[in-house]
Amino acid sequence: MILTVDLAIILLSAALFGLAARQTRQPTIIGYILAGVVIGPAVLGLVEVGTLTETISELGLAFLLFLLGIKMRLEEVRDILVPVVKISIPQMLLVALAGGGIALALGFGGVEALIIALAVMYSSTAVVIKMLNDKDEATSLHGKIDVGILLVQDIVVVILLAVLAAGRPESLGEVAVTLGVVLGLVALISVAALLASRFVLPSLFRRIAGNRDVFFLISISWAFIFVLVSSEINVLLAPFGIEAYLSIEMGAFLAGLAIAQLPYSKELQERVNPLTDLFVMVFFVTVALDLEASELLFYWKEALATVVLLMPLKFLIFFVLLRWQKFDVETTFLGSITMIQVSEFGIILGVAAFAGGFVGEEVLGYLTLIALLTMSLSVYFIEYNHALYRRFAPFLERFDVEGAFEGGKREYDGHAVLIGYDQVTRNALPLLAEHFEDVVVVDRQADHIKTLESEGYTAIYGDFRNATIRKSAGLKRAAFVLSSSVELDVNRALLREVSPDAVVFVEAEQVDAARELYEQGAHCVIMSTRLAGDRLAAYLKTYLQDPDVLKRVAKADEELLRDLAAIPSIHERMVGGLDG
Amino acid sequence: MADLLSTVAILFIVAGPFLLVANRFRLPTVPLLIVAGIFAGVFVDEELTLELAQYGIALLVFWFGVKIELSTVRTVLSDSEIATLAQILVVGSLGVGLGLVLGVPFQESLYLGIAAALSSTIVGVFLLQREIQRNLVRGRLAESIHFVQDLIAVILLLVLGAGAFELDPIATQLGYGVLFFIAAILVNRYVFDLLGRLAGNSSELMIVGSVSILVLFIGTARLVDVSIVVGAFAAGLAIRHDREQYLDLFNGIESIRDFFVAIFFLTIGALVAVPTLEKLLLVAGLVVLTAVVKPAITTVVLIFQGYEARTATLTSLGIDQVSEFSLIIAIQALLLGALGQTVFDAIIMAAAVTMITSSLTQRFDERIYLFLADRNLIRGRHGRVDALSRLPDDITDHVIIVGYGRQGRKLVDACENLEQSYVVVENDPEIRPLVREECDAFVFGDAMDRYTWEKARAGAARLILSTVPYDPISRLILELGVEADVILNASDVETALKLMDEGAHYVVVADLLAGEQLVTYTSAILSGEMTPEELRDGRVEALRSRHGG
Repeated sequence: MILTVDLAIILLSAALFGLAARQTRQPTIIGYILAGVVIGPAVLGLVEVGTLTETISELGLAFLLFLLGIKMRLEEVRDILVPVVKISIPQMLLVALAGGGIALALGFGGVEALIIALAVMYSSTAVVIKMLNDKDEATSLHGKIDVGILLVQDIVVVILLAVLAAGRPESLGEVAVTLGVVLGLVALISVAALLASRFVLPSLFRRIAGNRDVFFLISISWAFIFVLVSSEINVLLAPFGIEAYLSIEMGAFLAGLAIAQLPYSKELQERVNPLTDLFVMVFFVTVALDLEASELLFYWKEALATVVLLMPLKFLIFFVLLRWQKFDVETTFLGSITMIQVSEFGIILGVAAFAGGFVGEEVLGYLTLIALLTMSLSVYFIEYNHALYRRFAPFLERFDVEGAFEGGKREYDGHAVLIGYDQVTRNALPLLAEHFEDVVVVDRQADHIKTLESEGYTAIYGDFRNATIRKSAGLKRAAFVLSSSVELDVNRALLREVSPDAVVFVEAEQVDAARELYEQGAHCVIMSTRLAGDRLAAYLKTYLQDPDVLKRVAKADEELLRDLAAIPSIHERMVGGLDG
Repeated sequence: MADLLSTVAILFIVAGPFLLVANRFRLPTVPLLIVAGIFAGVFVDEELTLELAQYGIALLVFWFGVKIELSTVRTVLSDSEIATLAQILVVGSLGVGLGLVLGVPFQESLYLGIAAALSSTIVGVFLLQREIQRNLVRGRLAESIHFVQDLIAVILLLVLGAGAFELDPIATQLGYGVLFFIAAILVNRYVFDLLGRLAGNSSELMIVGSVSILVLFIGTARLVDVSIVVGAFAAGLAIRHDREQYLDLFNGIESIRDFFVAIFFLTIGALVAVPTLEKLLLVAGLVVLTAVVKPAITTVVLIFQGYEARTATLTSLGIDQVSEFSLIIAIQALLLGALGQTVFDAIIMAAAVTMITSSLTQRFDERIYLFLADRNLIRGRHGRVDALSRLPDDITDHVIIVGYGRQGRKLVDACENLEQSYVVVENDPEIRPLVREECDAFVFGDAMDRYTWEKARAGAARLILSTVPYDPISRLILELGVEADVILNASDVETALKLMDEGAHYVVVADLLAGEQLVTYTSAILSGEMTPEELRDGRVEALRSRHGG
């Protein structure tokens, strides 16, 4: 059977270097990039990138942005759209100027300096988004700003690639046309995504939400529609005589955004995450796999100089621009420090420039080296972003702005969490609502979510086994947790993560399980089958000893059942005839 | 449009509507993915996706290795072996015969036989979840039948992977199979925990590490010219661990698996070429063999072994499809050149068809059984029930207790304390020894079978207590039309009320009781009546006094 070896080697080396990175407390991305450098032509020369590997890396970026889109809510994006555009364009210009200036100062020629300037003005989508995701800051304010800037940069990259692919442009007009076409296409696809999100997707997803496999696969199909359109846009537009390029990442992001509005997005994130992690890892390894050592290190001195100069300059440029848009100083700092690297797009642009005859291979090597170094270094800065901010906070406070931009994540604290809305727990819900300001319900059935939301509860669709769901329910800060799951692993995970002050009620089926749960901190374990057994036994005894008593009791209990069937929420009256 | 990315995209996009159909009609996804692949085949170059598809195969078999439940199968295993082997031999031979009759060369006909004989894991188990959860005998029975078949499938894959039917290559394959097995155990014992420690709590690294182990095994397999399936299966055995401990890891691998396995089924559909008459005849023949002959034979054999007619029939209706292992065997053979396009296509199409028909027979299994039983086409043997039960022939005025779980045990205690005679009705072979030891009188049979009730002398009983909240059983009891009073179990209030309207004396709803208790205790805590610690201490004490220690 045919199975190429390169993917296997990439996976293995990524695993080894990743584990090593973990053991030495480095971020895993460093491990992956290093793996790529070591197994690539630069050092060991074990691997050449095959079609499959290339496709998987592309898919990695696409899924990463798909995931990101799923996390975003439209209102959140809309709020910062204008500031983001106002920041991105000047940022690119200023960084390009800085890069070009440094290049000229280091002795590169005019055209080379231009290409270098164009290549260094982006920040790395992969590094930034992966780090933001891992640190769970993608939906924080600075996270959203950075993502927005990256997306605008994405559009610019696409335009530039289109221009470079056509060879030297005839006129500025040609560039303008390409710009117009790309922007128009992006707008078109965005509109399509939004329309779908409003009219098609809600009912579609509601129908499939109960079926785990179909749900996952259809979401992937949905993403692939956008990916295909983006990647084949040229073919699709050929009959109209228009040439265009769209990045599949942008398409995937829009696909995700369309789903973000639906309540099922968290569950989907959980399913797509592992796949994305795997693919993105392959991507990072392949970044370094394409060059020969001689070209990579030809301009190593210049590269080092550029890195040392460019990174602080980038930080400054972002800082100034964000502050200009009146974001508070913490957001400004965090947002800026995340974007100080040079993107892998720079390498891609370099490759295109080399292929188009604009620069020599050594310049490509120089650009790759810069990208690798800045990407790796920036990972550390991002990892310790908050610590760095605290270190410099006193100094930075003077830059703070009046009336800073508001916007952050809603967090629950001291709330009640209910896991699983069913016959057992639903009567407890009004009780909880009386005592707690926020009651968050996690459930796996789409129609329950609807019912709950219409009654004013916060409902999260998803499986509590998933870490993301537990995080969104704010488990760590909950004051009261009620689990209707009888599954031991769910309840164990629950008890491990909950705060020591929280009151925890769980369910179990076996006595041993109950005992264990009590030991792990549960305050009350409800065993429904045991209760049923007790009730049955009680009935039996009464039947055998005094059948008439039982007849009366049974009648009364039957009345109670009928009442309950009619009005499900009269919990005060829920005491059976044989109790007490 | 020859690039891989677009091809994969097209496959998934075409799959979309078919998946919606699967959801709408509650069909399993696998056959519809195959059908989607057949349609998409027109647009894509399947050569490109073959490699991806093989990762799908590897992950499928890998997951199988991870998930095998060896323990629960033991009890019913000895019974099902005979039925399985008999069915495989007979149906297999008929499959080979079918091929030969239609002019297919002997070697390829063997594959037809294999396709007819083996039943699917994914589809079969998907449909069985309901039954396995209820711990009914036939769920166990079908599960163990699948297990035996899958083991045979893996062995076949090993043997056929040799590419030729000569002793030397086959021996080599088997030899390597054993080596892989040993390696798997070693990795499971020593390497996996090391991985866990090195990865810390990073599920990303655990997943990468596990996938790397898989890749290592597959790579080694390829290196020594053994089928990657064997490598993947061994890797699965190597990764097997307590799911709870490594929850994120297994959830993650499942997602990755779902992605690649979907591609596998789509690709395999795409590989199917335009149907010819000969092909359609083969398909029809295979379908009849798999969907009709196979369950028929299995039913007969199971009844012969003493199982109730209902158990036998319903079990057989769970194995009436072509296995995805057959698909893997077929694609392996195709790539090795041992199988021609015609037979390959026939097997694929038959698989898609029978997987769909099987889900339908499962859904309507009770009705099919009643249809056959009413026409006296099936006659059960009561030998097993008689042999395994123990009760006085003339027992009267007794209490019949259905189910010897926690509830049942409590009821038996109550009866014994009040010196009331009773008969326990139970069907789960795992509980059988307990029943035999602890109960004075019991009938070991299917509560859905009327003979069981005859045996339990329901007509002479005083009270029937069911601890099983399974609607069909509740209704059957009410339809027995006996004089005894009936107290049942239901899973929700509406059903309980309906049953009471139909004559039940009372119906216990377990969840309702739990709900009551929950509200009581929640109120107590929230109103400050009790502190959480007091509640816990009280509950633990109650638990201790009821169950000791």
